Amino acid sequence: MNASLVQATILIIDDFQGMRTMLRDFVKTMGVTKIDTASSGKEALSQLGSSKYDIVICDYNLGSGQNGQQTLEEAKLRNLIGVSTIWVMVTAEKTHDMVMGAAEVKPDDYLLKPINQVLLESRLEKLIARKLSLKAIEAAIKAKNYPDAIVQCDLQLAAKALNPQEVLRIKSDLLLTMGDYEAATALFGSVLAVRSVPWAKTGLGKIDFHTKKYASAQELFRQVVTENPMYLEATDWLAKTCMALGDTVQAQQVLLDAVKVSPNSPTRQKSLGDAAYRNGALDVAQAAFEKTIRISEFSPHKNAAVYAGLAKVFSEQDAPLEALKVLTQSKREFKHNPEAAIQTAAAESVVYHRMGDPVKAEAAMTEAERVVEKQGGKLSAEVAIELAQSLFKLGKKDKACALLREVVKNNHENGEISKSVEGVFQAEGMATEGQAIIEESRREVVNINNQGVILAKSGDFQGGVNLLRAAAQKLPNNEVILVNLCGLLIGLMSKSGKSDALVQETRDLLDRVQHLNPASKKYHAYVGALNRSVTGKS
Amino acid sequence: MGQEDISFADFIASSIHDMKNSLNIQVNALEKIALQCREQGDTPAFDSLGLVIYQANRMNVNLVQLLSLYKLGKSIYPTDISEQSVAEMIDEALLQNRSMMEFKGIVISVECDEDCHWYIDRDLVTGILINALNNAYNYTTDKIHVVAKIQDGFLELRVEDNGRGYPANMLIDDALSSSKGVSFLSSSTGLGFYFSSQVAALHKNGERCGTLIIENGGAFGGGCFVVRLP
Repeated sequence: MNASLVQATILIIDDFQGMRTMLRDFVKTMGVTKIDTASSGKEALSQLGSSKYDIVICDYNLGSGQNGQQTLEEAKLRNLIGVSTIWVMVTAEKTHDMVMGAAEVKPDDYLLKPINQVLLESRLEKLIARKLSLKAIEAAIKAKNYPDAIVQCDLQLAAKALNPQEVLRIKSDLLLTMGDYEAATALFGSVLAVRSVPWAKTGLGKIDFHTKKYASAQELFRQVVTENPMYLEATDWLAKTCMALGDTVQAQQVLLDAVKVSPNSPTRQKSLGDAAYRNGALDVAQAAFEKTIRISEFSPHKNAAVYAGLAKVFSEQDAPLEALKVLTQSKREFKHNPEAAIQTAAAESVVYHRMGDPVKAEAAMTEAERVVEKQGGKLSAEVAIELAQSLFKLGKKDKACALLREVVKNNHENGEISKSVEGVFQAEGMATEGQAIIEESRREVVNINNQGVILAKSGDFQGGVNLLRAAAQKLPNNEVILVNLCGLLIGLMSKSGKSDALVQETRDLLDRVQHLNPASKKYHAYVGALNRSVTGKS
Repeated sequence: MGQEDISFADFIASSIHDMKNSLNIQVNALEKIALQCREQGDTPAFDSLGLVIYQANRMNVNLVQLLSLYKLGKSIYPTDISEQSVAEMIDEALLQNRSMMEFKGIVISVECDEDCHWYIDRDLVTGILINALNNAYNYTTDKIHVVAKIQDGFLELRVEDNGRGYPANMLIDDALSSSKGVSFLSSSTGLGFYFSSQVAALHKNGERCGTLIIENGGAFGGGCFVVRLP
C-alpha cells in the first residue's frame, strides 16, 4: 500500500455504468491518476491478475454472475490481492457477509450508499492509516511468524493503537492459532470484565471446544446466540459443537435458524444438508444441498461432496434418475479433481446398488478405488468416510471397517472426526462393534506414541525414532505422531550429533505438520529448537 | 419465515438498492449543477437546488429507515454492536449532509473527545444522527451543535439547534410514547422518531437499555434531540 491516497492505484468494480463513472470522478477529483474500472467480477479478476492495485472499490451487487463477496473470495483464494490491498465494499444495505465474520473472507470496510466524494475520501484516508498501523502485524502473519505478530500487537496496544479492539481481536486469534489457551482466556476475560462482547465470549467457547469441553462450549455459544441472535459466527460454532456432541438434531435446528437470517453462505447450507441427511430429514437435506449448489455456482466454495450428498438424498427418496443426473453434472463440474471423482463414483455405486443393478454398482466402486490407488491412498477424512459409507451399502463390510480404522488412526485426537465415524457405524447398526474398532485404533496409536516417549526418556532416542518413523510411514496424516517424531529427532541430534539428512527429515516433517494443522503449537516450538540446534553447534 | 418472505425481503432490498443508485447519482449531479450556479452567480437557482437536494436526501434516509425497520421487525437485520470511534461516526454523518447544510448556510459545531469510543451499531446510530440533523435543519435558524459524551455508563448524543424549539404537544407526546410504546406515526416526522427509538432500544448492556428524548434548551435554547446508549 502506498502511504498516500494520491499515489494509489485503484480498481472500481460496478455493473452500473452510472455508478462506475461517478466513482471514477470521485477518485479523480481526489487527485488519483491510476484508475481502472470493471463491470463484472470476472472482468475484475482478470484485471487483478494482470495488475497490482492498492485499493479496490467494489459494489456488492454486480448483477448476474459473481457478486462482490464472491469476487473478493476468489481474489483472495487465488492470491490476486495481498494483505496490504484495501477492499471496500459498496452496498445499498448492510448484509451479514460483510459484518459478522460469517464469511471466511471479509472486506476491509463497507460503505453504505449514498456515497459522496468527501465521505469516500475520508473513509479511504482512514483505511490507509489503519492498514499502515497494522502493517507490521499483517506482515508477520503472512510470514506465519505468529510469535512475532503477537509482539507487534502488544507494541500497538502499548502505543495506544487507533483501534485497540481490532488489535485485541487479532491478538486473540493469534493466541488461539498458536494454541496458547491460557493467554487467550486471560485476554477474553479482560474484555468480558467490561461488558459481554460476543467475539470474546465466542472466543472462550472456541477454547472449550478445542480442549474438548464440548458441554461448556455449547453453553457459551448458546449464551452468545441468545444475547446476539445476529452474531452468526457463534451460531456456526454452536452447530459444530452439537455435531461434536453427536446431537445432530440440535445442530439441524440451530442451522435452520441461522439460514433464515443469512441464507447465502454455502458452507452453512452444506452443514445444514449434512446434519439433516444424518437425521433422515431428506426434504430439508435436499433443499439445503440444492441451495448450496445454487449459491456456490460462482464461488470458490464449490464442493463435489454437496453433489454426492444431494444424489444420495434423491436415491433415498427413490428418485434414482434425479440422483444420476446430479452426479453427471458433478463429473462435468469437477473434471480434473481426483477427490471429487472418488466422491462421485462412490455415490454412484450407492445409487446403482439401490436401483438393484449390482454390476454397475461394482463398476462405479472399482472406479473409485482405482482413483484412490492412483492418489497413493492419501485421502481426506471426509472423502474416506464417504467412501466407507458406500462400501457398507455394497455389503463390503471388511473394506469399510479397514478404511475407517485408518481414518481414526490418522486423526486419533480429533473429536469431530471420531463422532462422524461413530455416526457411520451407528447408521449401519454396528454401534458397539464400531465403538470397539474406534477405541482399538485409537489405543494402537496412543501405545506407539507412549512407547516412543518411554524410549526417549530412557535415553534411547534412536529406538524411539525407529518406532515412530515406521508409524509415520503408515499414518502420514497423524499430526501427533509426526510432531513426536520431530521431538525425538531433535533429541537424537542433540545427544548424538546432527547430520544433514536428519535436519532435512525434521524440516520435511515440520512442513507436513504445518500443512495438516497450521495452528500446531508444537510446530513453532520445534522450529525454534531446530534452528537453535542448527546454528548452535556445527 | 416462509420462502415467500425471504424472496420478498430480497425483492425489497434489490428495489431499494436500485432506487439508492438512482438517488445517489441524482444528488451528485444536482450538487455539481448547484456549484455551477453559484460560480455563475445564479443565486435563486442555487437556493432552489438546495431544497431539491434536501428532499432527495430525505427520501434516501426514509428508504434506509424503512428497510432497516422491516429487517429489524423480521429479526433479520445484521445488528453489529461493537466498539466504534464516536468522533469518526459524527464526522461521517456530517460529511453526508455537508452540502445540504452549506446551501442553507448552517454552521455546525461538534463537541466530542477524539478518543471517545463506545459500543454501538455504527450504521444504525449514524442513521439516528442523520435523522436528527435533518430535523434540526428544518427547525434551526442557522446553528446546530452536536455533543457526545460518556456519562454514568451511557453515551449521550445530543443534537441541538437554535430554532424555536419543539412545540409543547410534541414534548408530551414523546414522553408518553417512550413510556408506553405508543407509535409516533401521528406526527409528520413519525418515521424518523420511530426508527430512532427502535434503534436506541436495541442497544442494551445488561439490564440497561437505550432511550430517546426530545427537549428544549441546550446550548442555544432551541430544540434538542437526545439519545442515550448504555
